Amino acid sequence: MLLLGSITMLVPATKVLISSQPIIKTFNFNPVFGAVNFVIDPLSAFFIAVITIMSITSVIYAKGYLKPYIEKNKKIGAHMIFMIALIFSMIAVVTCQNALMFLICWEIMSLSSFFLVIFENEKKDVLKAGIKYLVFMHISVLFIIIAFALCAIKSGSLDFSSFSLILKSNQKLANIVFILAFIGFGTKAGFVPFHNWLPDAHPAAPSHVSAVMSGVMIKTGIYGILRMLVLIGLPSKTAGFIVLSLSVLSALYGVLYAITQHDLKRLLAYHSIENIGIIGIGIGTGMLGMAYGNKLVAVLGFAGGILHILNHSIFKELLFLSAGSVYTKAHTRNVELLGGLIKKMPYTAVLFLIGSVAICGLPPFNGFISEFLVYFGMMKGLSIHSFFAFIALIFAIAGLALVGTMAILCFTKAFSIIFLGLPRSEHAQNVSSDTDLSMTLPMCFLALLTLVIGLFPQYVFKLLLKPVSVFIEPTVIAAQPVSILQTISIVSFAFIAFICILAAIKFLSGKKIEMHKTWGCGFNRPNNHMQYTASSYASPFLSMLKPLFKKVFDIEKPRKLFPDGAHFSLHIEDIEEAYLLKPLLKFDEWFLTKFEKLQNGNLQTYIKYGLLFLVLIIAGSLFI
Amino acid sequence: MFMKLLNLIIILFFPFVMIGIIRKTKAFWGGRKGASIFQPLYDFIKLMKKDFVISKTTSAVFRITPIISISSVLFAALFVPLSDGRALINIPAGLIVFAYILGLGKFFSLIGAMDTGSSFEGMGASREASFTSIVEPAFFIIIASIMAMSGNYTFDSLSKIISNSGDYGILIIIFTVISLFLMILIEGCRVPVDDPATHLELTMIHEVMILDNSAADLALISWGAGIKMLLISSLIAAVIIPHNIGTGYYALGYTLTILAISLLIGTVESATARIRMSHVFEFIFIMSSFALVVLSLVVAKMFGG
Repeated sequence: MLLLGSITMLVPATKVLISSQPIIKTFNFNPVFGAVNFVIDPLSAFFIAVITIMSITSVIYAKGYLKPYIEKNKKIGAHMIFMIALIFSMIAVVTCQNALMFLICWEIMSLSSFFLVIFENEKKDVLKAGIKYLVFMHISVLFIIIAFALCAIKSGSLDFSSFSLILKSNQKLANIVFILAFIGFGTKAGFVPFHNWLPDAHPAAPSHVSAVMSGVMIKTGIYGILRMLVLIGLPSKTAGFIVLSLSVLSALYGVLYAITQHDLKRLLAYHSIENIGIIGIGIGTGMLGMAYGNKLVAVLGFAGGILHILNHSIFKELLFLSAGSVYTKAHTRNVELLGGLIKKMPYTAVLFLIGSVAICGLPPFNGFISEFLVYFGMMKGLSIHSFFAFIALIFAIAGLALVGTMAILCFTKAFSIIFLGLPRSEHAQNVSSDTDLSMTLPMCFLALLTLVIGLFPQYVFKLLLKPVSVFIEPTVIAAQPVSILQTISIVSFAFIAFICILAAIKFLSGKKIEMHKTWGCGFNRPNNHMQYTASSYASPFLSMLKPLFKKVFDIEKPRKLFPDGAHFSLHIEDIEEAYLLKPLLKFDEWFLTKFEKLQNGNLQTYIKYGLLFLVLIIAGSLFI
Repeated sequence: MFMKLLNLIIILFFPFVMIGIIRKTKAFWGGRKGASIFQPLYDFIKLMKKDFVISKTTSAVFRITPIISISSVLFAALFVPLSDGRALINIPAGLIVFAYILGLGKFFSLIGAMDTGSSFEGMGASREASFTSIVEPAFFIIIASIMAMSGNYTFDSLSKIISNSGDYGILIIIFTVISLFLMILIEGCRVPVDDPATHLELTMIHEVMILDNSAADLALISWGAGIKMLLISSLIAAVIIPHNIGTGYYALGYTLTILAISLLIGTVESATARIRMSHVFEFIFIMSSFALVVLSLVVAKMFGG
């Protein structure tokens, strides 16, 4: 049923992507809404394609993933209904052109994903994370409402096209609306400093839901930002600089905290923040290109950013799904307890490896293509001949390079601690077999997509120019990137062929292979507890950046003759949560308890309040 | 065509000769006679003939790693100007492809090391990953800011851009060369960052990652490490050799530059001591600060009038 619906949605989307002619459907609702336009322009079509493809794969995966829950007599009917509601509302959000309808769909999306997150609602942590998510979403929607209300007051209509007229004529209003919308949509997308819900909600949700949330749902936030940009037309330089610098900050912050995490899904959640940052860098570069009137920079920036939306949803979903497979088999998400799984789960291991290489932006996979476009756009932007643009872009380039290498550190850590070496605990030892075909197949499909985009970037780029054309007309200038991507494609093919040839030579050479123990510096009985752990792997790098974390140690030193109670654990807390949100909440609690006396449970007092309120209203209405 | 062939020979032999010269220089300063400068090549051939010894803990990842790391450096070499001052594949923003292909090799060499389940190799991998992550941004800043002066982002225009930048040119050359030279010491794992000749596993960085590699695997990995050093040296050559002196002279200048760099590395290795592991970051930040100097010079040139 769901599959059918998704596929039917794909048809108009591909049609628009190929023809680049928008489809417009108008529905007449009651007088409050007015005429509601549902428009599929190339930008919406791109998002619909992403949403449908990713949802289909994760729903197929869910069939295998939820099997243990069904066996335990857990009801999944409601869960699936919310899944359908989420997918439907996401498609509605990216097509709707009426502010009120947009907000309603947006709210359906937030609520249905909230219910999806709290699937395992008997666990306290899950419920807590879910409520945190709900609170953040409603703070964010507040900003969006303000932004839309500002436009609606000025234009007198709720339709986006009338917003556009107002925003294009009033630069100051456009700036304010854009910044408000950026905060609102940025919270959904997970831009730092509005990201705090993300690393809690993603691990709490079941894997296929985190895959959809991280892969697709947070992208609707990006869609909102992009849609505002379309409405505004020509962005101001300030807005461009704000987006660019916040994106670099998000990317660095995300990857830095990802390195500190031991919970696999939390690690991936922080990587979502990083990748949203990379998408933002692309969009920021595009905005600067537009603001300074350099078309090539704008096209490259937007193309890179938009391609990274697709790429990130592919490899992030792949990674979340393989993390889910590991969780179903090993029953833990703590990487320190895993190890050596490549021998028991070879398919999952290879798929996770492909996802890791792709997310690090390494050739010949898809992540490289979008990062290349973003880099190239920024480099071209260096020659705009504006001092501020030069400084901002050169540090964004350095920032992106740092993000890339830190991602390598993080994913070599994740992959090698989970899949390589020896099992670190019974959790990993008890894994018997790889997962079912229904779980592996969707992942194989995603892995194939990463490779296809990586190997044929020139065609993908040509297709991308259609969504980009919504922002800026990519005329002849697209020829240079296409020819470069063509070269990259050839090099990638040659690279893969070269590796295959070398591997063939190596394995056909008939050299004897003697199996032996790992070299232990002369020590002959190395065991699984002597391996490097995730914390120790990340430690040299993190020790350099000490001030950026709050470390929470839990140490019990060995004391007695038989030191059985001794343990050590290290937890790294988000600096924003530790130094900003927690004090804020504490203050809030302190402040609000001052009003406790008002609620004394006495009926007479409440009637008194009611009376006072009425008097105030009447008095107020007399004066106004 | 002849130059392409010459470049192929350079890629095949220069890495060994470079390491040979470095060792010879160290022997000279140490008052020893030292092995022939072709000794690394003989070692390579000898290793290629041997049979493998592999750890029981390892998986397929370990076996594919040397192949991917050698392929990645060889393909990265396509994007770097060698003896004729032109890269074989000369595309704008080749810098990114170059850096990211090397990144792929690094990714696999890290997981290959972790595959053995040895704590020593984990230690090496963790150090290598941490150190590289700070080198890369500095490298990007240097190359991107120099290239920004022309707006044409290909590697082989480096010396041309610099010669066009007037009085700033010589300063830019000096600081770029210093910081790229520091990059060779860091990425090539030379003293004072790492000592390739050390015998204590606890103090190694690169060497400890390949403790369990043997035979052809080991040969390919050490060759790859040599090529990487050669590639960064080639960038230095591309910066200092004037672009318009003719092909023959350019090739000569290139060879001399590589020779000079090898001698310099050998001398530095003999004259300085290893720095403490916890201070390596500070050493890398020296490179970053030189990169920022280059950046500020470029900014001064572009916007200072």
